[in-house]
Amino acid sequence: MGDGLEISEVTGLGLVAVMARKGVGAEAIGQRLGLAPGLAAPATPHWVGDGALALIGTGPGSWLARSEAPTAEWAETVIERLAGLASATDVSASYRVFRLSGGDAARLLQRGAFVDLATPAFAPGSVAVTVIAHIGVIIRQIDETSFDVSVFRSLGESFHHWLTTAAATL
Amino acid sequence: MRIPCPYCGSRDIGEFVYRGDASPVRPAADGAEAAMFAYVYLRDNPMGRHEEHWYHTQGCRNWLVVTRDTLTHEIPSARLAAPLNAGDAV
Amino acid sequence: MSRLASGGLIDRTRRLRFTWDGKALEGYHGDTLASALLANDVRLVARSFKYHRPRGILTAGAEEPNALVTLGSGAHADPNTPATTVPLTDGLVATSQNRWPSLRHDVMAVNQFASPIFVAGFYYKTFMWPKKAWEKLYEPLIRRAAGLGALSGLPDPDSYDREHAFCDLLVIGGGPAGLSAALAAGRAGLRVILADDGLEPGGWLLSCRDTIAGQTASNWARIAVAELGIMANVRVLPHTTIFGIYDGCEYAGVQHLGAGQPEPGQPRQRLWKIIASRALLATGAMERPIIFGGNDRPGVMMASAASSYVNHFAVAPGRRAVVFTATDSGWQTARDLIGAGVEVAAVVDPRGGGVPVDMAGIRRVRGLVRDVRGSAVRGADIATPDGKVERIDCDLVAMSGGWNPAIGLAAHLGQKPVWSEAIQSFLPGALPPGLAAIGAASGQFALGAILAQAHGAAAALAETLGAGGHAGEPSVAEDEACGVAPCWHVAGARTKAFVDFQHDVTDADVALAAREGYVSVEHMKRYTTLGMATDQGRTGQLNGHALLAAATGKTVAEAGTIRARPPAQPVAIGVLAGHHRDEAFRPARLAPSHGWATALGASFTDAGQWKRAQWYAQPHESDWLETVNREVLATRNAVGFCDVSTLGKIDVLGPDAGALLDRLYINTFSTLAVGKARYGVMLREDGMVMDDGTTTRFAEDNFFLTTTTANAARVLQHIDFARSVLWPDLDVQATSTTEHWATFSVAGPQSRALLADLLPEIDLSNAALPYMGARRFRWNGISARIYRLSFSGELAYEISVPADHGPALAQALHEAGATPYGTEALGVMRIEKGHPAGNELNGQTTAADLGFGRMMAKKKDFIGKVMAQRPGLTDPARPALVGLKPVDRAQRIRAGAHLLPVGAKPVAANDQGHVTSACFSPTLGHAIALGLLAHGPSRHGEQVVVHDPVRGADVLAEVCDPVFVDPEGVRLRG
Repeated sequence: MGDGLEISEVTGLGLVAVMARKGVGAEAIGQRLGLAPGLAAPATPHWVGDGALALIGTGPGSWLARSEAPTAEWAETVIERLAGLASATDVSASYRVFRLSGGDAARLLQRGAFVDLATPAFAPGSVAVTVIAHIGVIIRQIDETSFDVSVFRSLGESFHHWLTTAAATL
Repeated sequence: MRIPCPYCGSRDIGEFVYRGDASPVRPAADGAEAAMFAYVYLRDNPMGRHEEHWYHTQGCRNWLVVTRDTLTHEIPSARLAAPLNAGDAV
Repeated sequence: MSRLASGGLIDRTRRLRFTWDGKALEGYHGDTLASALLANDVRLVARSFKYHRPRGILTAGAEEPNALVTLGSGAHADPNTPATTVPLTDGLVATSQNRWPSLRHDVMAVNQFASPIFVAGFYYKTFMWPKKAWEKLYEPLIRRAAGLGALSGLPDPDSYDREHAFCDLLVIGGGPAGLSAALAAGRAGLRVILADDGLEPGGWLLSCRDTIAGQTASNWARIAVAELGIMANVRVLPHTTIFGIYDGCEYAGVQHLGAGQPEPGQPRQRLWKIIASRALLATGAMERPIIFGGNDRPGVMMASAASSYVNHFAVAPGRRAVVFTATDSGWQTARDLIGAGVEVAAVVDPRGGGVPVDMAGIRRVRGLVRDVRGSAVRGADIATPDGKVERIDCDLVAMSGGWNPAIGLAAHLGQKPVWSEAIQSFLPGALPPGLAAIGAASGQFALGAILAQAHGAAAALAETLGAGGHAGEPSVAEDEACGVAPCWHVAGARTKAFVDFQHDVTDADVALAAREGYVSVEHMKRYTTLGMATDQGRTGQLNGHALLAAATGKTVAEAGTIRARPPAQPVAIGVLAGHHRDEAFRPARLAPSHGWATALGASFTDAGQWKRAQWYAQPHESDWLETVNREVLATRNAVGFCDVSTLGKIDVLGPDAGALLDRLYINTFSTLAVGKARYGVMLREDGMVMDDGTTTRFAEDNFFLTTTTANAARVLQHIDFARSVLWPDLDVQATSTTEHWATFSVAGPQSRALLADLLPEIDLSNAALPYMGARRFRWNGISARIYRLSFSGELAYEISVPADHGPALAQALHEAGATPYGTEALGVMRIEKGHPAGNELNGQTTAADLGFGRMMAKKKDFIGKVMAQRPGLTDPARPALVGLKPVDRAQRIRAGAHLLPVGAKPVAANDQGHVTSACFSPTLGHAIALGLLAHGPSRHGEQVVVHDPVRGADVLAEVCDPVFVDPEGVRLRG
């Protein structure tokens, strides 16, 4: 351990909360959104997809659709495309997203989160909706050493305070 | 204490909100006041296995039915209160 | 100096300077404060709690009852720290406690001659009456006389943090058992955490002269720790005390960082929360004292501690020793002392027998030490079975009454220990789920057997848990003799004999408790305070129970032992708080306009976690009321705006969204037209009001619901309960959008004109956007919404944009000429309009109480409908919402005051309600208030007395309609 830590903020994201209608499965939603052929929306706390479109599992039948370079109409397009299959709403401005990269990223997050973040319990592709420092977070592991942590926008400053305070003691 | 959320996995109890006994069923519309009174207020206090409603407020935001032993605090199982959609098996 | 010329694990090349009560002393790296003090011949280190008796160092571990010191000074002062657990560091400042004016000359020591008033239960007996004397006289007196170290009273300058860990196996304790188990489990491939509370792992191995696998025990320990250190699946937590076991295989520990002195910028301690599938209790055992006269004198020491000081720290704790032992391990101490050049005058053992071959020439006395002589030990009186007493000169009495397995943790979930006749102590009975005991904690005291047992236990666990690797073979060591005879108490002592050293509880106190009927160990504990000090009676507790058993004719097994509870060691509150202190005590939620408002000089108030702008003072304004009045009048006469983003916002979506809302609210939403908003009230199932707010329909299957700021999370939880538990057949989804939208209320007669300039793309006419209308639109290319809603009673709009655009919208509104107003002005205007808010939605009011009785739909079911119809909730005598105006308009009404009939005596029986909200109305020019008054709605025009005995005189008030301004609603429809 100990390859350092880089903290940055990911901005300009498009985010849509997607909630399946009664009886609609994850596969249909994945297909309708145009994920890669055969790729379902994850039914477990995982994410699939790429920068253009990713689906992040946040609960049974609920996801965050994420796009790194959304057009002005992106959220509305997603919502319309899901009509009849899922209820969806634009939450692009709801979160501040911090990216933690480096060999110490997992250790820092483990100081805050009381969920097992070590492989194999947690690995690239894993998602955890949990709490750090009394602040609700969505942790998304991107690769071996990087994570996105999303917090509600209003709590961004408090979370940033925890991040910098805890990181200083690594 | 940990609760095994069927979706999120094992989580600290601080992520959850406790409601209470999961067995009372809300009386149908226009039910008698006595039935509603019992639903709202009357609770058993059993020793041993107990099914309870917990809300995973800091996780997947689902209402769970958690089986807890009131004597030992053992939590052998937890399930989602609402039925799942097809393809969402957890 | 008592430092031995050679040996020990100290580093003689690293000299460390420290001060003790201001005096400069030296020690070595590897010393504890206790060993360094002994090396400097400091034997008197503390004064006792009640009697101020001189005390020395009794033990070499965390169980130390006597040698409590204050470390550091000023804000860094850390009181009540056992000197035996403090690693010596260069520049360490340590001072003694509970003495005045100095340790050697303590005027309070007179307490011991006045001891008859300090007997068991003296708090209960002596200070019962008169009650006032307790607070004024007795308590301060006792606190000064009997006390421990003092807190600095300054903010803690150190920092603390926390970490979480998950493992297959947690090994608690890094002595022979713990190391052997961790090696086996680690080699087998389990995810292992080894937590050891010592300055260096090794436990007793660092203090004994045994050999393991051909190595000295301490070398073997260091090699084992090194091997564990390179295993990727093993984590060694040195200097970490596991202090509690909790449900769900959760273990809490505190790690002391930086070897006694935090490194710059680093935390002093770290809280660990560990989830371990399995755990092994390898906490070892603690030697127990024997109760004899003067057994608390400096120079009386546990035998194992004497061995530890000699072998581990190379310090001779005396020059001429008497070893008083009922155990075979005491004889090993005699060997250790001889090996260090300490003269052993005699080994006193109540058991018969000869002297081991290797100790030929050492005198063995079959008998008991009855009393020691001297303020510090100068000699010991030995009673022999023939009734004679022999006096032997010595300056050290090393005592060994037996070994108590350290099993407190094993009882944290309520399990009871069981008595073992073989080891004359208690062992874990049933254990918490996942926990097993090994080594001395399981009653196994022979080194070879411990290594094999611990290895076997860990290897078996590895197999059970499916670890793929091979656990290897256990290391081999000799099994030493570890016999013990019961020896608790020496009868006939001429001087005080102590059971609990830290709380000054004597054998006589226990006997008195038994005579007075405190015959259960739990009652005796509380009556005598035995075991209630910071050391929690580790050394003395079982002795007390044995005495009580003897006094009540029971066996120790029958008397039982007290329930151990977490924390097993004192834990600083600071480490539990971690980073959450001062400004970061709890997370703060900042509204979208927070930064903009801060730049404008706003003052903020807390609304739950939210920081909300309370008012925007201008430089010339002299007090907040002047500011608030200006903000209200600017809004009522022109246009103002306020950030209302903190209100909860929930999207309720899906084909059955309307049906669900009908069941949540007392009024109907399924009939609401698209593009329209409606005010709603929701009840709890017991019929009381839960929350209120407006809901807007944007499509057939799309409702946008708002809640009060305080109830946002609760309402979402309520909706989720309704849709997943109560009516899972409904196809309806919900999610919070509170954080997505920045919403500003723009209010006042000029609001339409201002917005028409700012948002030329929208038709704001009454026809296009009537009162309670809503529309989606685009502002500068981003999605936005406008609602014709009014909380102030003025012509008003709410405009929402994505939260990241909130500051820009605030700036635009300000530049367009709107006056920013804060929560105080918002509150004044809502009171002027008689809108209920948090003070009225207090969980005890019904819809009817608040004037919403007629909104309750008759033809549909909704949550709370049946219970709201109970007679007690529909009684017209219930206090209901009214307005109040002072008859003398210059007077002021305060919230919280009670309402009485004019002329009635101010007693509870005449109470008719209370004032819920009050303010000065700049619009009307006098004070106004809202209140809940019995029969209120039928009493408009009556006068009542507003009774406020706490803050001032009574005020005569007139009851009126709660809507003070524009009751016809002309303005808001304008």
